[in-house]
Amino acid sequence: MMKAAFDPVTLATPFFILTVILEIVLARFRVADARYETKDTAVSLGMGLGSTIAGILTGGLIFAATVWVYQHRLFTIPMTAIWAWVAIFLLEDMTYYWFHRISHERRFWWVSHVNHHSSQHYNLSTALRQTWTGGVNGSWLLWLPLAWLGFPPAMIAIQKGISLVYQYWIHTEAIKKLPRGFEAVFNTPSHHRVHHARNPIYLDRNYAGILIVWDRLFGTFQPELDEEPCRYGLVKNLATFNIVRVAFHEWIGMAGDVVRHPRHALGYLFGPPGWSHDGSRETSHAIKARWAAAPSAAPVEREAA
Amino acid sequence: MNSAFFVQLGLSAAAVGALVALTAWAKIAKPAAPLDEHRARALLAEEFPTRRIDAVWVATDGAGAMAKSGALALVICQVGDGFAARQIPWGQAISATFRNGKLIVDLADVAAPRATISLPAWPPKDLAA
Repeated sequence: MMKAAFDPVTLATPFFILTVILEIVLARFRVADARYETKDTAVSLGMGLGSTIAGILTGGLIFAATVWVYQHRLFTIPMTAIWAWVAIFLLEDMTYYWFHRISHERRFWWVSHVNHHSSQHYNLSTALRQTWTGGVNGSWLLWLPLAWLGFPPAMIAIQKGISLVYQYWIHTEAIKKLPRGFEAVFNTPSHHRVHHARNPIYLDRNYAGILIVWDRLFGTFQPELDEEPCRYGLVKNLATFNIVRVAFHEWIGMAGDVVRHPRHALGYLFGPPGWSHDGSRETSHAIKARWAAAPSAAPVEREAA
Repeated sequence: MNSAFFVQLGLSAAAVGALVALTAWAKIAKPAAPLDEHRARALLAEEFPTRRIDAVWVATDGAGAMAKSGALALVICQVGDGFAARQIPWGQAISATFRNGKLIVDLADVAAPRATISLPAWPPKDLAA
């Protein structure tokens, strides 16, 4: 199992539990803006618990691969140097941006990541709705270049943990907008609400982990608009709380498409989610294009530009 | 894996149970009024923006709706405090099981296996063909 001596996620687990309790209680007494539905919460937390077990099954392989690459590193980067932590903070966060973008824009990786977006709610429990199959589809390979550069595997694991913990607290509607300077640089609840929304204007936007600057740099930034309240979930929302269906539905859907249309297997595996060989489905790009062409979309789009 | 892991896992599972119980106690789901025809049409327009609606049947308990759009049936069903929507061939909707005032529609989707819609009668006589 790939565990550093200092594991930010393990250390933060009591904080996760306490803050979910706090959000629920504050919402109960109408102090905070949050919505929780019992079955939805059970699925989110069950997915989170299951992901820790699933992580063990693939963690050994990931750790072994990272160590092997580190043994063939270009440089030796000391864990004690401040510059090294600054460097890994930036490089890991950029790696996360591209991992996250691929996880949305290519179906082979979306089949795992879709789990995190399958709730119609946006609260702290949603942050814990994690995939069970993230280790299976090889997205962890994206972090191997950091080991090849010479960052110790423990350092990479710690920074990944810090990123995950940072991204926890932004899954809330209780915090509206933060000071402008912070919103300009960091990923915030507002930016991440956009990321979880299914409104056409918000699809495939704000992939950032900690720094929102990557979205601004690579052209995927979209601010939250007052006139376009976020509607959360998937383009085609789930109609079940069966946790096994939640965990594997898109894998089954992808496998079914490949079996039914073997000549178009590559498209169904590596095309964008919603891609179909006969154009009978819609990708995010197509949904956005149709929405942008509708007369009612124009004012919102203008303000977003 | 060591015993510490299992202790942590057990405590996490207990915490999950406690948090779910807390959520049930808090009753802070989204306030969703039952569907009426106006709201059902608005939802259908949102979910199927390119589809023309020929006819709509709203569930008697407001927890779903069925619409005809050409050769397709557009189905909306309540999921928790939200809704999910799917489209299926109209013929599939017509042949769906109707028993004790409930229409059980097979949506043929692993993420949305079936929808149950309370209706006074099914299929509609004038659109059954």
